[in-house]
Amino acid sequence: MKSALMIIKEQISNFYLVRRLSLYELKSKNQNNYLGILWEFLNPAIQILIYWFVFGTLRSRDPVDVGGVHIQFFSWLLAAFFMWNFFYQSTIQGSKSIYTKLRMLSKMNFPMSVIPSYVIFAQFYIHIVMLLISIVILQFSGYYINMYYVQLIYYIFAAYCLVFAVSLITSTLSTIVRDFHMLLNSSLRMMLYVSGVLWPITILANEFPKIMQFLKLNPLIYLIDGYRSALFGVEWHFIVHWQYTIYFWGLVIVLFIIGSALHVKFRRHFIDFL
Amino acid sequence: MEKSIRVKNVSKKYKLYKNKKEQLLDVVTRKSYGQDFYALANIDFEAEKGDVVGFIGINGSGKSTLSNIIAGIVPETTGTVEVNGDAALIAVSAGLKGDLTGRENIELKCLMLGFSKKEIKNMEDDIIEFSELGEFIDQPVKSYSSGMKSRLGFAISVTVDPDILIIDEALSVGDKTFAEKSLAKMKQFKEKGKTMIFVSHSIAQVKQFCEKILWLEYGTVKDFGTVEEVMPKYEKFIRQWRKMSKAERETYKQEADKRKKKILEMTS
Repeated sequence: MKSALMIIKEQISNFYLVRRLSLYELKSKNQNNYLGILWEFLNPAIQILIYWFVFGTLRSRDPVDVGGVHIQFFSWLLAAFFMWNFFYQSTIQGSKSIYTKLRMLSKMNFPMSVIPSYVIFAQFYIHIVMLLISIVILQFSGYYINMYYVQLIYYIFAAYCLVFAVSLITSTLSTIVRDFHMLLNSSLRMMLYVSGVLWPITILANEFPKIMQFLKLNPLIYLIDGYRSALFGVEWHFIVHWQYTIYFWGLVIVLFIIGSALHVKFRRHFIDFL
Repeated sequence: MEKSIRVKNVSKKYKLYKNKKEQLLDVVTRKSYGQDFYALANIDFEAEKGDVVGFIGINGSGKSTLSNIIAGIVPETTGTVEVNGDAALIAVSAGLKGDLTGRENIELKCLMLGFSKKEIKNMEDDIIEFSELGEFIDQPVKSYSSGMKSRLGFAISVTVDPDILIIDEALSVGDKTFAEKSLAKMKQFKEKGKTMIFVSHSIAQVKQFCEKILWLEYGTVKDFGTVEEVMPKYEKFIRQWRKMSKAERETYKQEADKRKKKILEMTS
């Protein structure tokens, strides 16, 4: 508990540092490519086209029902995909952040929790831009801006909190045991298929309701459903599904407390694990 | 006199593992695996404000470990380290990011040391001028030579004006003129009454520059005192050491290890 408060304090007082460092992070990551930062957007764009082709065209997906509204498959996919991309990229980058950047920081009294934080923040910029691009595309597909968009702010914040809490745990574990990062990498690939990004998990509702309930324990589904409800103007998702909201924040808080306890316990000794 | 650095009973233990399995078991289980290796054993050492202390000793004596601990980069295993003020360590290419340009590295480094945007802008020109990098400052650091990297590292560290400056072999890569310029800069620091630690193999540089000497041998303090006291002894030792055969050196090392063990047993 004490370490959790300490981390929150560190985050707030170093917010300027997080913002500045995240810009350098973006810069140094894309220095070698001619197209530079554009790759951050090209990569997911190519991916989404592949999924669209495989699932939308070859498997000819029907429009998906979101809270009684029928949504074309591509738009439905798009509304969740950039959310997934943010989660995937920042979890991966966050997990390896400490052991890749520690040498550069080389000072123990540096507020270490800033490291995963600024890496996530770099992804956060990309997420915002991708969200805006998606919104523009959705306008052309006939899903217009509506007042439910307001809840996007809430969901973006919630996504950030989840990713940060997860990264505190994974970055510590990956630094101590490097194999953990490999494990995380492969399990995240699997996550894509069970998080309701590519196919609606509601198709399990009739035949396998137990499995659907189990899959819903995944906090990503909460976020993805929320993004979709907002972008397609369906409902005030976090109020309508208030039990799910409580579950989500309960989970985030538990993860955050575990993460900060781990982080604070090992932060002084990170350098010994390099 | 005000104490600037106070190192008390500091030991640093590293674990030597035979393989990855041992390392993993050591992390996960409560039982201890692997062999203990003490890079430093019960070091006591104090520096007053304004002291210029040279760390000397043959390879593997723990000079770099001790300077890293004082700089706050590596944690000590046992004992206490008190440092009054900011300590900055200058080692060859320490903490520069290869993908970024020299200029971006300056900004990044200063940012992490807690300077504001405006302060960084002010310092930038001084740093670039001191480093003599010229137009290379806008090239990525990975294309720099080792001399250029250490020049940049040195320029950043002296410009941010730390209270305690630790120089770890950083001057051995630059050319003569830059080394002289750096020495001149360090003399300025000395006049300002800043504490400095100078880790070097060059007896001439240490003699020219330091006032006190900490002589380390296999992780223990062999001697500590003024240059006039310690240096003749060290020079004599080095002459002997050079004449020793491989086997003689080995026995010497074993005896030193035994002494180290005794010291460790006495304290624990």
